[in-house]
Amino acid sequence: MTCREFVEVLTDYLEDAIEPCVRAEIERHIVICRGCSNYVEEMRSTVGLLGRMVAEDADGADGDAHGEQLLSMFRAWQAGRA
Amino acid sequence: MPPVALPAGPRSENDDERALVAALRRGDETAFVTLVERYGASLVRLARTFVRDRAVAEEVVQETWLAVLNGIDRFEGRSSLRTWIFQILSNRAKTRAVRERRSAPFSSLASDGEDDAAAVDADRFRDESHRWAGHWAAAPSDWSHLPEERLLGQETLARVREAIERLPSRQADVIVLRDVEGWPPDEVCAALGISDGNQRILLHRARSKVRAALECYFAEGATG
Repeated sequence: MTCREFVEVLTDYLEDAIEPCVRAEIERHIVICRGCSNYVEEMRSTVGLLGRMVAEDADGADGDAHGEQLLSMFRAWQAGRA
Repeated sequence: MPPVALPAGPRSENDDERALVAALRRGDETAFVTLVERYGASLVRLARTFVRDRAVAEEVVQETWLAVLNGIDRFEGRSSLRTWIFQILSNRAKTRAVRERRSAPFSSLASDGEDDAAAVDADRFRDESHRWAGHWAAAPSDWSHLPEERLLGQETLARVREAIERLPSRQADVIVLRDVEGWPPDEVCAALGISDGNQRILLHRARSKVRAALECYFAEGATG
């Protein structure tokens, strides 16, 4: 397996959607290739950072105002239906 | 409780959804609040992958909820309620993004179908003439040496957001639901109406691009 092939099958590997023989080949490659083992760690960090976006998002949010707007919208809809 | 024996097993998501749909049709406010609590924040985040501005994204979400309410009598339950809500959001956010495109220099409306880009640029690997063809010419670095405040800083998260905004829309949908929201793959497939294989391809392209954007950003800091 070349490094160029490795980076294209990495997601299938991380998602556990790969043939066992390919999995074994990938795991051997990670052991012998520093560049690709760094690449895997970079990808894990990337996914970790993506997971932090939720917290970041909540910080800047004025959720209450948005929630109030939604509630008035709902009540207007409800009144129109009655 | 009704005096009839209920099927064994936990109350399914379907039953729960059917009850919510019925309550909404009666105009039940609690049902609406439940739905907003369950999906509201996710809808805003997904909308923001199309329209950058938070206020605009919230408007799109509000329009989505109104469309849900106005359409609830016609909702037939052929897809799950969540899938239906996210489809409405996705369509409205795309329409809105087209309208706002002039003010947003992002290419999130690029076609996914035409995107067969490699995960890593070809010039990072040794070419065919080389004995080690296909192996790294410029290998990725080890991010674990980066100071934590750089790896996890606000500026880094801002770069991640920008990278998501530049993704073709389907890739952005998948990476937001999978990696930002933490949904399992099968639910993402259901919500977006795509196959498992397609979901993985979109996730692969999206993650690869976000990683590449971060690599660029961290490299800037190393030389600057």
